[in-house]
Amino acid sequence: MAKKTKKSADSAVLTAKDKKTLGAIRSLADEVVSSADRGRAPYVEIPSRSLSNVRFNNSKKIIEMGSGTNRRELFNLAQARSYMQTLLVGTGCKQLIEQGKTTSIRGLFYLLKHTIEGAGEETFDTQGECDPIIEDVEVSLDSMREELHLYAKNAGAMVGPITLVDSGDEIDCSRMGSGGYSVPSIVEQDIVQFKKNTARFVLHVEKDTVWRRFNEDKFWRLHNCILIHGGGQPPRGVRRMLHRLHYELNLPVYCLLDNDPWGYYIYSVIKQGSINLAYESRRMAIPAARFLGLRSNDYERCQLTPSVQIKLNDQDIKRARQIAQYPWFASKKPWQKEIAMMLANGFKLEVEALISKDISYVTEEYVPARLTEGKFLD
Amino acid sequence: MEDNEDNAQQPPKPHRKRATAESMAAKQRDISVSEFFAKNRHLLGFDNPRKALLTAVKEAVDNSLDACEEAGIVPEVWVHIEPTGNNRFKVGVQDNGPGIVKKQIPLIFGKLLYGSKFHRLRMSRGQQGIGISAAGMYGMLTTGRPVKIISMTSPRKPAHYFEIQIDTKRNQPEIINGKGDGEEIPSGEKGQQYIAAHGIEWIPGPRSGTRVTIELEGRYVRGRGSADEYLEQTAIANPHVTIHYIDPEGTAATYERSTNELPPEPREIKPHPYGIELGRLVTMLKDTNAGTMAQFLTESFSRVTPSVAKHICDGAKISTRSSPKRIGRQEADALYQAIQNTKISAPATDCISPIGEPLILKGLHQQVPGEFFCAATRPPSVYRGNPFLIEVGLAFGGGSSTQKVTLDALTELLAESDARSIRQFLLTTFDGIGPAGAEKILSEASMGPRQTAAKLSKEDIAKLHAAMKNVNLSEGQSMQVLRYANRVPLQFQAAGCAITQSVIANNWRSYGLSQSRGQLPAGPVTIMVHMASVWVPFTSESKEAIASYPDIMKELRLGLQAVGRKLAMYLNRRKRVHQEGQRREIFLRYLGEVATAVSSIRDSDDLSRKELYDRLLQIAKRKTSEADILLDDSGRKVEAVEDDFGENVLIVNAEEPPIADL
Repeated sequence: MAKKTKKSADSAVLTAKDKKTLGAIRSLADEVVSSADRGRAPYVEIPSRSLSNVRFNNSKKIIEMGSGTNRRELFNLAQARSYMQTLLVGTGCKQLIEQGKTTSIRGLFYLLKHTIEGAGEETFDTQGECDPIIEDVEVSLDSMREELHLYAKNAGAMVGPITLVDSGDEIDCSRMGSGGYSVPSIVEQDIVQFKKNTARFVLHVEKDTVWRRFNEDKFWRLHNCILIHGGGQPPRGVRRMLHRLHYELNLPVYCLLDNDPWGYYIYSVIKQGSINLAYESRRMAIPAARFLGLRSNDYERCQLTPSVQIKLNDQDIKRARQIAQYPWFASKKPWQKEIAMMLANGFKLEVEALISKDISYVTEEYVPARLTEGKFLD
Repeated sequence: MEDNEDNAQQPPKPHRKRATAESMAAKQRDISVSEFFAKNRHLLGFDNPRKALLTAVKEAVDNSLDACEEAGIVPEVWVHIEPTGNNRFKVGVQDNGPGIVKKQIPLIFGKLLYGSKFHRLRMSRGQQGIGISAAGMYGMLTTGRPVKIISMTSPRKPAHYFEIQIDTKRNQPEIINGKGDGEEIPSGEKGQQYIAAHGIEWIPGPRSGTRVTIELEGRYVRGRGSADEYLEQTAIANPHVTIHYIDPEGTAATYERSTNELPPEPREIKPHPYGIELGRLVTMLKDTNAGTMAQFLTESFSRVTPSVAKHICDGAKISTRSSPKRIGRQEADALYQAIQNTKISAPATDCISPIGEPLILKGLHQQVPGEFFCAATRPPSVYRGNPFLIEVGLAFGGGSSTQKVTLDALTELLAESDARSIRQFLLTTFDGIGPAGAEKILSEASMGPRQTAAKLSKEDIAKLHAAMKNVNLSEGQSMQVLRYANRVPLQFQAAGCAITQSVIANNWRSYGLSQSRGQLPAGPVTIMVHMASVWVPFTSESKEAIASYPDIMKELRLGLQAVGRKLAMYLNRRKRVHQEGQRREIFLRYLGEVATAVSSIRDSDDLSRKELYDRLLQIAKRKTSEADILLDDSGRKVEAVEDDFGENVLIVNAEEPPIADL
């Protein structure tokens, strides 16, 4: 316990944001004391992060979190442990803020993990147990992860004719070699500032391998764009970066994703926001993003061979039907057609499938053709 | 001799004398009942020496209890089994009953099939009038000793003392003492001296009573099917009886009565028409004194009113005024059919006297260790025209005696014990652990079975004690079923008995016990089932098992279900109590963490942390007890659970119930 109650001598200078967050954490603790004083069982109201508590805002075209909350009680068998963990996360974040340091969510897990006295039980068994609690704290304190001084591991990279300043270091994204600029999980204004940009649009590709192909072929230089990938489902840092590029620099965002339910969902997350992080949609969703490919008709259009087909499994089919039902897809005829066609094809296509035509087919022919054609899925 | 021609061709066989009808007739003669039962003594429960000892005790005690109850005397019985060497035992049973008049004594004890209970329909322990005289006959056959009876009808009148042998050929008593006339013992002080002088066994005290002493060949083994078990079970079903028992090893034990109230006296009833067979009907028609059929029917049977009698006669196409004696075979058959086709109300059932739920509880509680007791008495019902009634009592839990003993008590017991090994010590000191249980305890304590009990070191005793605490003997234990017919315990032929069959057929899993198919349920449960009837349908003369008539099976099932439901309620509650404890534990586990986290966020000191912790602790305690209040579907509180048990449930407050043994 000593490690947590220890007052750090080197208390950092607190920003206004930090003070606000600290206040929120403190009110969490005050709540416990005041209900204990009144002989009531303490609880935390946590905005519900389930599908039932999100709705699609049709005018803003983003997924928003509803007002539904879940009550987490200390004196409830099923919730006692997570209640305790919620408060522990509170202490951890308070410590981080007061010391002016940030840590990964895994670091926080280790910071808080210890054996409960007299019970022989760990406060957290796995990081998987800790991560949702952190998200709970974020939503219930209405504080961003970065405001809690937490970050996730870097995932995703970008290159392009843009210069930005990251924690005071100037970074020219056109000179990032083969690896690109690794997009940090926190790209807020106070950490990353855009300095100079000549790019005309942003191309978001699904994964690293495709991104490397584009980078090697210097596609971004040729087409004057920013090339970014999110390593599958894009993490918050990448999504926030896309959001800022789109809104602050007015760059259109095009997505090159696999032609499968997973790719559709990634697009949906970029465009409307995710169900789990619905409370972050207004900072992350880009309703103007467009789906460039792959399309269900590309198998014929590009004259691909049957050997690149990957058969849809039952789960894929189920997922595809589910996605078609999402309100933000349900009203779009082209999308209904697209999904129906994939189901009719009975197979999915990965972006890499285009390599079967030629190694640089995707960068030299496919994407340029789509861009000139201009027929994107909305 | 049809094949004469064949014979003619063969050489003549040496002539063999064949029996002729005449020579056979010379050998054909009466078989006396006594002779029959002397040869077929297994029919009466004397198949082996061990069982013979029990049966003798049982018959004598049953007779005593019947006599006392009929005379309205709260029974007190003295049972004394004394080894006389050479596998012989002297069984003495004395009661404080009304006594027997002089003339009847030799007949009752010295003639088979002589009794008061056979010809009437009335609930009693004995039925046929074979038991006690058969016991005497068995004793005589195996030891040659006569049956000794002393009976006193009043403290002022002289008592009578007989020594009787049975003439098995004639089924007649033979009085040996007093020149074939018995001895008369004067009342009062003089009598005491006479008894002492002549070596007659009699425990002075009761104002009247009878003592029968039979010497017989037997074998005394404790446990299942022993006289000890019989007496213990009798005490359970007869809480109004006090039994003083001295076993062959000289240990005296007393089963005290838990009530002074006699069970209500059963009434004698006339047979119900439905229960009569054709042959019996014909006999009754012949024997009756009634002048008309209507009179015959209404007077000989219960529940036959003049209008019902008319119905029957109409059905049989017989005039109500015809004479019963003139009824022929065919008409009797028509009458029998008419009876079956006429609607007759069920027989009066107030002729049966149940033990009653409160007394079942008392009896069980007194004799069976447990934490939960419940009982159910079914309303009377009818099989084949005989009224009967089923009662069920259930005792649950209690843990085994080995788990309750303290270390000091164990040390003392070990010091006193003269057992040759620890295994023997465990078996003889603690009830119902069985060899398997003893082995379990020994292997848990990692001790050899042959270690001497008296030479254990202190550490070894502590080890043994810990093992006894840890080994859960009730785990493999299966339900114990105590069967009773008219308050008499049934100790043999469990598998063939309707009671055992219905206990097995019942689905105990739905009541929270584990049960494999076709087996008795497992768990520390004792169940007693009592069938009271004017005529209990035994499967044999030795009265060991009840026949499974569908009507009886149905009542048994309903009775078992009634106690089963109550048991399920109790087990659920116990589980909830256990869960509450667990719940509290879980809350307590996290309270410390929560208090620390809150204090660290608020930068408060240890004192306010402690304060917060205490407050939360209080809420936790309140919450956990509140959590047991059940909510119904609409979210309203359901009434307190205790009330749901209904009547006649006894819950003994055990310290923390050991949930593990479920």
